[in-house]
Parts: sequence; structure tokens; C-alpha cells
Amino acid sequence: MSGLTLEEARRRIERWQPRINAFVSTEPRSKGSGGPLAGKVLAHKDMFYRRGRVSNCGSRIRKAWMAAETAAVLERLDAAGALDIGTLNMSEFAYGPTGHNDHWGDCCNPWNPEYITGGSSSGSGAAVAAGLVVAALGSDTGGSVRLPASACGVTGLKTTWGRVSRHGAMPLSHSLDTIGPLARSAEDCALIYGVIAGRDPRDPVTAHAPGDAPVDAPLRSIALSSRWIRENAHAEVADAVLAAARAFQTVEVEPPPFDLLSAHCLTVMQAEASAQHAQWMRERPQDYSSAVRARLEAGFAIPAPQYLEALRLRGAWLERFCNETLAKADAYLVPTIAVPLPTREQTGPRGGPDMPRLLGEVTRLTRWVNYLGVPALSLPCGFDLRGLPIGLQLVARPFAEATLLSAGRAFQRATDWHRREPKW
Amino acid sequence: MKPLDTHTIETMLAAQGIPLALGRAEKLAPGVNALNVPDPLRAALPFEIDATSYLGSVRKVQPK
Repeated sequence: MSGLTLEEARRRIERWQPRINAFVSTEPRSKGSGGPLAGKVLAHKDMFYRRGRVSNCGSRIRKAWMAAETAAVLERLDAAGALDIGTLNMSEFAYGPTGHNDHWGDCCNPWNPEYITGGSSSGSGAAVAAGLVVAALGSDTGGSVRLPASACGVTGLKTTWGRVSRHGAMPLSHSLDTIGPLARSAEDCALIYGVIAGRDPRDPVTAHAPGDAPVDAPLRSIALSSRWIRENAHAEVADAVLAAARAFQTVEVEPPPFDLLSAHCLTVMQAEASAQHAQWMRERPQDYSSAVRARLEAGFAIPAPQYLEALRLRGAWLERFCNETLAKADAYLVPTIAVPLPTREQTGPRGGPDMPRLLGEVTRLTRWVNYLGVPALSLPCGFDLRGLPIGLQLVARPFAEATLLSAGRAFQRATDWHRREPKW
Repeated sequence: MKPLDTHTIETMLAAQGIPLALGRAEKLAPGVNALNVPDPLRAALPFEIDATSYLGSVRKVQPK
């Protein structure tokens, strides 16, 4: 992990912040001490609560809201000696895939600020890419760690549902919410993951996690659907991802039904998010941005049986993915974002009639992973002709994070995409 | 299930106390109806399966 000092981080933040708007607050929140992360400069998405400190959650509704307790993940990072130097920008209530924010200003891509960072952990992706921190926590309900990791050219781990405690983290959709790190490399993600993972009685979902991380065994092979990628991803993305796949021993498989599983994911996400926000939607709907308000309105039109049927089907689809797609492989490889990154204008409030289609394309390959509840690692694997990063994701069985991190480390020992940094 | 028409969407939201601007239901309908998809595993799903059965599937497929 980089030896970025606090003084150096502050100089870099001063230089980069006007360009990318990654930070919401730069007030130090923990001092750090001895431990495996002693002195490591971190900052986190503005949705992890810290007792007596503000968590705005990217919103107007929670502007200046003070938390009464500290998130389990922050307690663990504090105990490991990490510095927490501020809070990072995010999509409003983590409910947006681009990094737009009407209340706190858009977070901009460090490689080119005209383009989206990906969201909802927009500040986490941008701050790590620009070298303002060595790692940052994000949350991933439909792609919110992996989308900014891919768009900003960094590494991001979406953990298994139930692997990391969500106690003291802002909820969006309880069946899908996960927390994971964004960092320069898989090695750095592994360091953070090793600290934050584990059971916590305050988040009962973690009770189902195995006690210890699985042994870091050698990889068998990686499953891949080359033809699907060639036919569905943009040519530049397909070229980069298929070239990267050559670093692994691969086995060709039929692709999972991404669009069907994504629809189930959205059914669950929208129903749960709208229930979570029901009181505010009744009392102060004008305090949401128009985009988030529209997403929340849609959730109130989902019939309860449709929501529960999506959850009834979840186990069957998980078993099919593990028993068929991963029958002869340890992980499945697919682009994180299959299309060229859109601009902020194309996907913002003035985006026009094409915007829903563009957003659908950006998120097409991430939500199915949340529906299955499995872990995924997004790795930088190239750049397009505009100089914007391209990412691939490896998707594995529940609680196989060690396998993914091992594969990521092997890939990054053979490539240098993760070492490239934006200049400014 | 049949697609929801705009009047049904307006009624559902009104019943839950959610104010909806004029014309909003028309914009919501395509997205809402796009989530109501036929699933090939639905017909074979055993009667006893419920939302909590997912945890049993996780235990079955996680690395040993």
C-alpha cells in the first residue's frame, strides 16, 4: 500500500478538489495509531456514521445530520490504525449510478471531468484514482463500488451479502446492500477487506458468514462468454476485456441471463428503497432531487407479490450460477461497464430522452451480481481511445472473496493498468 | 401479471400517501412494467420455497 503521508494528501486534495469535487468534508475524523493500517490515509463515502459527526448521505434531507453511533466498519478501521481524513461525495442516498449530485455538486472523473465517475461511491473512486487517499470504503447495492472503480481506473471489491457488517451504514435495500473497499490494487483491497470482514451481532446477516476467510488456493480457471462479449459490449471494451482474459486459463460458458436477473434486482431494490424512504416521501418529497424522487416513486408501484417472488427465485438462480456457470471455474469474467463512459451532461438532469437507455447500458452488468448476493472484483484492464479507463469484473461463489483477490493479485502482477494515474 | 396502466399506478401511489405530479404516472409506467418479466424457473419452484430459502442456497454453494 502506498506510503502517502497526511501532508502530501492535503496538498493533493487542495490541487484536485476544485477539479473533481471528491470530498464533502476534509475535517479529520480519526487519528490512527498502531496496527496493520497504521498511518494509512483513508476517507470514506459520506454514509458511514461516526458518533458525534455529520453524515450527509449525499442528500439535502440529512444535511448536517449527526450520527449517534459509529459504523462497525469504521470501528474496525480505527482499531487497525487507519487515518480517516474526511467524507467523500456520493450519489444522493446512494441511489444513482453516475456520480451526479444536485445537492453537493457532481463528482467528476479525474481522467476527464466532463465524464461520469460512476456511482454511487463516486467520491471513493475519484479520490483513490487521483491519489488523494490510498483506499476508501464504498457501498454496493447495484454496482456502486464496481461502477466508480471501473470508470475511474481503480480496483473495487463488492463483498458477499453478509460478509461485512452494515451496522451504522446508511441503508438503501437490505437484501442487496454490501460494503467494500476501493483502492489502487487488489493487494490494497485485500488489506482493507481483511480488517472489515467478519461477523457482527449488530448485523444479523453476518451470522451466516463462514468464520474464517477461505484458504487462498490456486485458481483452477475463469469462466468466460467471449461471443456474448463480442456481440454485446462496445468493440473497445470487448478488445480490452478479452485481451485481459488471456492472463487466465479460461473455459467458455453460456452467459447468465443478465437482463432477467437485473430486472429482479431492480424489483427488490426499488421496493425496499421506497419502503425505507416512505416517511420522507410522504412528508418532504420536494427535498429529493428529481432523479431520486422518480426512482423512489417507481418503487411504490411494485406489487408486494412481485417483490416477494423475486426473492423466492433468488436461491434457485444462485444455485444455477454456481452449479452451471462456475461448474469448471472459480470465477466468471465479464466487463464491469460494457459501453463507453457517457458524459455528465448526457446522463444528468438535461440528458434528454436517451438518458434512461444510457443509464441502463452503464448498469447492465452489475446488478445481476447483487441479486445473486455473490462477491465481485472490478479490475482496470485498459483505456479507450478517449483515454478513459475500462474495467473487467470477476464474479465468484458466496464468500469466495479470497479467490477473487488472489486472481486480482495475479492479474496485476502481470499488468500495470492499475498503476496508471490521471495527470493534473 | 398484466402491465399496470397509468390510472392503476396513480391509484397505488395515492393509496400509500405518495403525491404524484400530473403526467408522472405515464413516465413511470414503462420502467415499472419492464420489471415484470417472465422467469423460466418460476414454474418449477417448489411451493415451500420462500424469501428466506436463499440462505439455504448460499450454504449449499459456498466454498467448503
